[in-house]
Amino acid sequence: MIMAKIANRVRPLLVACGVGLVLIPVAQAHHSQSEFDLRSKLEVEGVVTKLEWKSPHARLYVDVKDDNGEVVSWNFELPSPNTLMRRGWKRDALQPGDRVKVGASPARNFPAIGIATSIRDGDDKALFTGTTPIYEPEAASQ
Amino acid sequence: MLQSLCERMTHPGGALLAIFSTRVRALRAALAVIAFVVGPAFASAQWLDYRTPGIPRLASGAPDLGAPAPRTPDGKPDFSGMWFANVPAKDYCREADCIQEERMAREQINLGIKLEGGLPYTEWSKEQMVERRANGGREDPHTYCKPPNFPRAWTLPQYTKIVQTPSLVVMLHEFNAAYREVFLDGRPLPEDPNPTWNGYSTAHWDGDTLVIETNGIRDDMWLDIQGSPVTEAARVTERLTRLNFGIMQVEIAVNDPKAYTRPWSVTIEMAAQVDTTMLEEICLDDEQDVRLYR
Repeated sequence: MIMAKIANRVRPLLVACGVGLVLIPVAQAHHSQSEFDLRSKLEVEGVVTKLEWKSPHARLYVDVKDDNGEVVSWNFELPSPNTLMRRGWKRDALQPGDRVKVGASPARNFPAIGIATSIRDGDDKALFTGTTPIYEPEAASQ
Repeated sequence: MLQSLCERMTHPGGALLAIFSTRVRALRAALAVIAFVVGPAFASAQWLDYRTPGIPRLASGAPDLGAPAPRTPDGKPDFSGMWFANVPAKDYCREADCIQEERMAREQINLGIKLEGGLPYTEWSKEQMVERRANGGREDPHTYCKPPNFPRAWTLPQYTKIVQTPSLVVMLHEFNAAYREVFLDGRPLPEDPNPTWNGYSTAHWDGDTLVIETNGIRDDMWLDIQGSPVTEAARVTERLTRLNFGIMQVEIAVNDPKAYTRPWSVTIEMAAQVDTTMLEEICLDDEQDVRLYR
């Protein structure tokens, strides 16, 4: 029923970087997001179990069936509730039982945790997720 | 809510209701009046869309952001109000539709991004930057929900609210419900300050520009996400100029011989935020990112 596919696409915006060099990527929010592999993209479809409406990041918990039919509970990071409210979200925008499609980048070292980059609700409407082009700094030394 | 109640109460459904139709109509009219009078108070959980009183407006009712900068009764420019980096709203388009990007000042990531050649790091600073980059920026105090230190706070994705009096300017910041005091009462900067997150700030007027001088900043502060340092050796000067009602220019000048080979300055623009309110954002409420850095 659900597809969990990992695309591993390199965005055209990204510059080529040295292998193994850890940069400080930022796609949204207020601090480095090197805990996520922003170059890796996954898309899942599943059922909302909870929208956690807390700072510094709201979180959307989604049950997703993997290719083996096992349910995996995903934890998707969103911008802060403040940022979301200023873009039309409400704390009950998504309710337990709602079907959603989520695009995300996964955490590097933890399973089933990701930062959401796109969300579509049950009506296939796209919701704001705070997405921006990924920024990776040039060499720090001048 | 009251309108919904009205609708439910007056739903046509059954003979019994018809008997009371006259009373119901009267009650409906009364509730409609109540809803009109008190309705706005229930418009949202907080004052997210509440109309800011006393600001210049166009005939359409929209804020007149190009109006002259307001002044206080003593004739000084009035910086009071909420401010956010002046980043134009852009759409992020993908596949069939577009949604709005997050508004994020590029200076939030690299305060010197518009400086030709970038920030003039000292050798010590370069070492800091290399280490911070190698660690993926995980030591950023902001990640750990530490306070929103100025001048970095200008670029963070939360609002700053300025409350101005003749002798004191207070800056409130949404992140961790923080505050900063800027004294306009003529006091000198402290000579041997105990270092703090925002340091110690005094201000004076240079024409219509508010000049804020700061010392006593902690030795381990970050100016941006990529980790540009600012240290206890720093003297920071911020020059605030309200160009019109909608735009405030903030020039940030840093003289920090420990972190930079020469003084430098950058200028950012802040946009007035009206018809809305400050929203508390307590970072420690549900911080979950630090564990992910392992």
